[in-house]
Amino acid sequence: MSLEFVSANHAAAMAAALAGRANERARGFGGGVYPITPQTECIEWLCQQEFARGEIVRVESEHSAMAVCMGMALAGARTFTASSSNGLAYMTENVFAAALYRLPIVMMAVNRTLGPPWNIWVDHGDTLLLRDSGWVQFYCEDNQEVFDSILLAYRLAEDRRVLLPVLVCQDAFVLSHTMMQTDVPDLETVRRFLPDLDLPHRLGDRPVTVGGLDFPHETEAHRRQHAEAMARVPEVYRECQDRFAAVFGRRPADAVECYRMDDAEVAFLSMATTASTVRAVVDAARGRGVKLGAVRLRMFRPFPEAALRSALAGCRRLGILDRDISLGLGGVLWAEARACAPAGCVVQNYMVGLGGGDVRPRDVDGMLQDLLARDAAGEPRLVEVGS
Amino acid sequence: MSSREDGPARGPCAAPGTCEPLLAGMAGTACDRDAPLLRAGNTNCGGCGMSITLNMLSRAIGARRVQLAIPACCGIVTAGPFPYSAYGAPVVAATFASAAAVATGLARVAQMNGEDTRVLCFAGDGGTYDIGMATLSAAAERDEDILYVCYDNEIYGNTGGQRSSATPLGARTSTTPAGKAQAKKDILAILAAHRVPYVASVSLAHPDDAVAKFARALDLRGFRFVHVLAPCPTGWKSEPAEGIRLVRLAVRSGLYPVCQIEEGRRWTVDVEPDFDRDALAEYFAGQGRFRGDRLDLGAVAGQIQEQWQELRRRCAGGVRT
Amino acid sequence: MDSLVEFRLHGRGGQGGVTCAKILAAAYAAQGKSVQTFGDYAGERSGAPVRAYTRISDAPITNRNKVYEPHHLVVLDHHLLGPDVFAGLRPGGTVLLNTPEPMAAYRGTYESFTLATVDATRIARAHKIGSRAVVIVNTTIAGAFARLHGIPLDLLRQTYKKLGFLGNFAAAEEAYAAVQIRPASQPAGADAAVAAAGLPAVQPLEEHVVGPAPRLRTGNWGTQRPHYVENLAPCNAWCPAGNDVIGFVQSLATGHPGTAAEILGRSTPLAAVCGRVCPAPCMEGCNRREYDGAVQIRALERFVADATPVAARAAPVLPSARRIAIVGGGPAGLSAAYEVAKAGHRVTVFEGERALGGVLRTGIPTYRLPRDVLDREIEGVLALGVELRSGSFLRRDDVARLAREYDAVILATGLQDLRGLEVPGAGLAGVEQGIRFLHRVNLAGPVRLTGHVVVLGGGNTAIDCARSALRAGATRVTVAYRRTRAEMPAIREEVEEAEQEGVVLVEQRQPVACHGAGRVQEVELALVEMGPPDGTGRRRPIVTDRRERIVCDHVLLALGQSADLSLLPEGWTVQDGRVHRAGEALPVFAAGDLATGDGTVTHAIGSGRRAAGLALRALGLDVAVFERPERARSVPATDIRFDHFAPRPPAHGAVLDPWQRRAGFAEVNAGLPDAAEAHRCFSCGHCTRCDTCLVYCPEGIIRREAPGYEVDYSYCKGCGICVEECPRRAMEMSGS
Repeated sequence: MSLEFVSANHAAAMAAALAGRANERARGFGGGVYPITPQTECIEWLCQQEFARGEIVRVESEHSAMAVCMGMALAGARTFTASSSNGLAYMTENVFAAALYRLPIVMMAVNRTLGPPWNIWVDHGDTLLLRDSGWVQFYCEDNQEVFDSILLAYRLAEDRRVLLPVLVCQDAFVLSHTMMQTDVPDLETVRRFLPDLDLPHRLGDRPVTVGGLDFPHETEAHRRQHAEAMARVPEVYRECQDRFAAVFGRRPADAVECYRMDDAEVAFLSMATTASTVRAVVDAARGRGVKLGAVRLRMFRPFPEAALRSALAGCRRLGILDRDISLGLGGVLWAEARACAPAGCVVQNYMVGLGGGDVRPRDVDGMLQDLLARDAAGEPRLVEVGS
Repeated sequence: MSSREDGPARGPCAAPGTCEPLLAGMAGTACDRDAPLLRAGNTNCGGCGMSITLNMLSRAIGARRVQLAIPACCGIVTAGPFPYSAYGAPVVAATFASAAAVATGLARVAQMNGEDTRVLCFAGDGGTYDIGMATLSAAAERDEDILYVCYDNEIYGNTGGQRSSATPLGARTSTTPAGKAQAKKDILAILAAHRVPYVASVSLAHPDDAVAKFARALDLRGFRFVHVLAPCPTGWKSEPAEGIRLVRLAVRSGLYPVCQIEEGRRWTVDVEPDFDRDALAEYFAGQGRFRGDRLDLGAVAGQIQEQWQELRRRCAGGVRT
Repeated sequence: MDSLVEFRLHGRGGQGGVTCAKILAAAYAAQGKSVQTFGDYAGERSGAPVRAYTRISDAPITNRNKVYEPHHLVVLDHHLLGPDVFAGLRPGGTVLLNTPEPMAAYRGTYESFTLATVDATRIARAHKIGSRAVVIVNTTIAGAFARLHGIPLDLLRQTYKKLGFLGNFAAAEEAYAAVQIRPASQPAGADAAVAAAGLPAVQPLEEHVVGPAPRLRTGNWGTQRPHYVENLAPCNAWCPAGNDVIGFVQSLATGHPGTAAEILGRSTPLAAVCGRVCPAPCMEGCNRREYDGAVQIRALERFVADATPVAARAAPVLPSARRIAIVGGGPAGLSAAYEVAKAGHRVTVFEGERALGGVLRTGIPTYRLPRDVLDREIEGVLALGVELRSGSFLRRDDVARLAREYDAVILATGLQDLRGLEVPGAGLAGVEQGIRFLHRVNLAGPVRLTGHVVVLGGGNTAIDCARSALRAGATRVTVAYRRTRAEMPAIREEVEEAEQEGVVLVEQRQPVACHGAGRVQEVELALVEMGPPDGTGRRRPIVTDRRERIVCDHVLLALGQSADLSLLPEGWTVQDGRVHRAGEALPVFAAGDLATGDGTVTHAIGSGRRAAGLALRALGLDVAVFERPERARSVPATDIRFDHFAPRPPAHGAVLDPWQRRAGFAEVNAGLPDAAEAHRCFSCGHCTRCDTCLVYCPEGIIRREAPGYEVDYSYCKGCGICVEECPRRAMEMSGS
């Protein structure tokens, strides 16, 4: 294990390469890759690697990048790609296909605003677009978490009880291009964590049509099986956390991460890097005697409803911070999470930091003042923070 | 009046000593009976040219290990509902535009694992000329180890008969009710321009040529492209029994050149047409999609002449280099 | 009040089932009903089962489900009948069924509902709706529906007009008239199917699945099926002798010359002879003539017979053997004798000449037919136990005696009457019948002829005379024929060889006089112009008054021959090959040129066979009598797929150089060196196991199975490609 000083893009690429090399004694590693800011660094780094049994295919589009991953995964290889924003939107058809084939592909997404007008900064709207695609989704808070989540993602995705693709998200520039110390384990240690991939439905020599036709009844059954696999994810994830801790000596965060929530009456729910800012505000508010806590949703799919409900059980006021907007509704996280708040709780939605606006503690403080002043929730508020 | 300019069209190669093609080698083998690529009970229409293509391909494949990527098209619908498979080989049903990219993944993993699996794309003209063109072009440019077979029925058959960029001039489809105003793309030239190892067009009416070329394409390495004019009785509004006859007429009249291009440079004509005007007229008359159309046969013949002048120039150019 | 009526329609992709449901709905809409119609969309390939639904009601329709309990069914294909179709049908309902079967075929079944049947496929096919393989029956069966459900035809017509189907209305009218309706006679429920079983478990996608082959039996999609058939080959139809030409040629092609000889021996003892001198009508009929030249059947026959004597081996004489006398030992007599002896009966041949053979020996020169070849084949006939009495010509009373002494008599005396030249000077010395000249040449040893010989005529005798005259020493030979070269009855190759040897042919010349003082010195010819065709299709020669004279030393007449019936006793007449006396059929039969007057060996052989059969049958024996097949039934050239075959010119045997030929009577043609020519045979109407059907079958369900192929009808969709592509018309489509 060594402490590397790397961007989160490179951290993701390093984790993917380690996971790939860990599978070199099995059917190898690969993926289709296509550049898009701010993810490009990640695939560039991968393309500079040599793999004993691995191929990075430089394709002509995100759509094909995922298609190559599907082909490689179906052939039994461990696969990785990365994308962002409009690239993900262009890839969408095959993002769905990858999940519907039940392929354990891991993708790193750098969250970036969808255009036009073009904007390369952070916004979660791109990956939330894919919330119904059948992928597991993680949102990360720092470089180490990005690195760890990629490794975790493979173990989770390839578990026979799951066999689903996993999306590991990080915020554009806030993480992607930010260099931080990251613990990078050696290959042998990674191998102890990641067993060889042995895909049960790997395309071999048997006659079969993978992804042919379903009639209504078959689709109902296949959707139910897919949903059941999703439902097994929290439990398998906990096992992965345990194993990760045993192998690497640090425990990755829970699907729902609580901060000073034991006696909290007021809480903020957020995802990704915003959660770090919120924690700072919590500490400051606690210093002022406000019983404020923070909940970070690390796993967005499957949606950890029970864990969230339990985390929020003592809340009277809940502010839900969305770095996205579902136009015509409000924040996506708010729309999904508000039902987890206890009865009588005031749940107010703040859409903040859209298009890369820098969410600073004072912005969160402003929201706290607003929240504390409320007796009842209002319409979702779009908070402009500038940058 | 027929105008025979280059002697009679070449029939299938006669077996030594006889006047008939020797088809025995491509028919009735144990492989053919026990593990056909396309199994009986598939849902293709009677007389489907794609089915015939698969049978020819099956004979060429023989005992080779293959995997197929088939995009959304009649070719995947015919596989039947899960878990049944009308294919006697491993098949991935790819998204419409993705066959060549999925095949890339399959081929790369086979290669990195030292497996002699021949990976094929089997796509219609919609998935090749239109939605899959970028993917196809990219895979060709990367010289992926893929055999891409395009069964071209000149129509979106699976969706019920809409025009594609492979639909020929004058053909009526459900989206060109007055007949298509544009000619089809020159797919061979497009692929040749990628300078891939092997590009060929295959005539189902010349089974020995077809099977030999499929076999050659299977054994070559790198990106290979084989184009097949696949009659579609439903879309062409023709007699199911007459599909092969129509292909033969298309070849004889020069409408469908049967040729191959090695390394994008060496062009060879494999079946010499006789440019018979009667054959051309019969070809159009045999298909309802051209009926009622004011197709100017003279103009079509003129276009064929131009196309062949270009083709001859390319063949000659190939010899010079 | 519940006025809702629900229809469910079962059909196949391509039949237009969804459109049919729409037509029915439109017809009800025109009556002011509220209607709803929709199809069940799935893998609706041409032929795949599809369903469609129509609801009608007086009230607005709000039901958005499929129809599970229909009041009425429409079934577009009787192969679909089964529990799935009848599931949920309500009591008192009707079923309209498209079926080729008559209503009587459903006696005892489907009696719990009103059954209506109509052969909509036949009607629609007759009206050319759809293609031969995929007949679109929707607009047709809607006519039957209208009748069954009381929709006025006028209203239906308006509906068709509105929907743009007016062109198909005649078919609907025909179905309206043709539909048969049988009311229910059993209580409801007798045919209703049990409820569908629970849905099966579905294997997960992420498991190791091995895809089983589809269970779909596509064999009942089609309305027609291919079959292997044997059709009459033109060579067989054309052969007057009734040889199985295609049989022997194909045996050669497949490397079985012994079988080829055996096949020829079934119908002729004279294959080596015919292989040299037959005009080969089979080659006239040969479909390859239309492509790159007829198969050289005559040469192949010679090739077979020269290598292996064709004559059958002696059959044991039956205890009940009949005794047959045959008068005349020419080809007809020999053929009749061969046929009778093969059947195990006793034969005696009466021949006037010392040796058998008739015109083969007396008329045909040895350079065309070496005598050892002839002798060998005659030996083959005699070896069957045929008794020979030769050397004296019979008379009338002899014939009458034979008719008493033998069970039957076959007269095969050939053409003995020679047509003379009825012009001034015909009696001059030096003017001679060609046949007599040939007789001298062939039987009397070396004959010398000098100077310029003019032969009058255009048949094989004329050419034989001309070429024999050259060999006998003539310095110059001219053949004068009144029509053109194209119309000469002589074998074309013979004419060509004669010209190579130096014979000069002058066309369109009619002799009008011979001149000379005691001996012919000039023959006078009138120029002839060709007029329009006469009743026989041949152009009629019109003699002009333009003349020319040719100086000559000999004139040989080859103007034709006819039968000499003077051998028949008083009061005997020949009718259709059998001799009658005072209206009574005698056991006496005529064969060969005496019966048909055709003048060719092959006709004589066929005629001899036929006479033998007639004679034996007249004696109460159960034998097959040879009948010439109808040429019109044979496979026409248009049914042969020429492009299947690589062009290859006919093979010819080596011939002597002309100067060698003129030096004597050695055989001109050495025959074929091998049997490769047999590979040119198209094998019209006869499967050769060429695998074309198998290779092109889109379903891959044609298999090699002895003796030929087998189609797996449980999967055959009836597309007809195998039949269309069969290069030789050995397959046909028929209704399934």
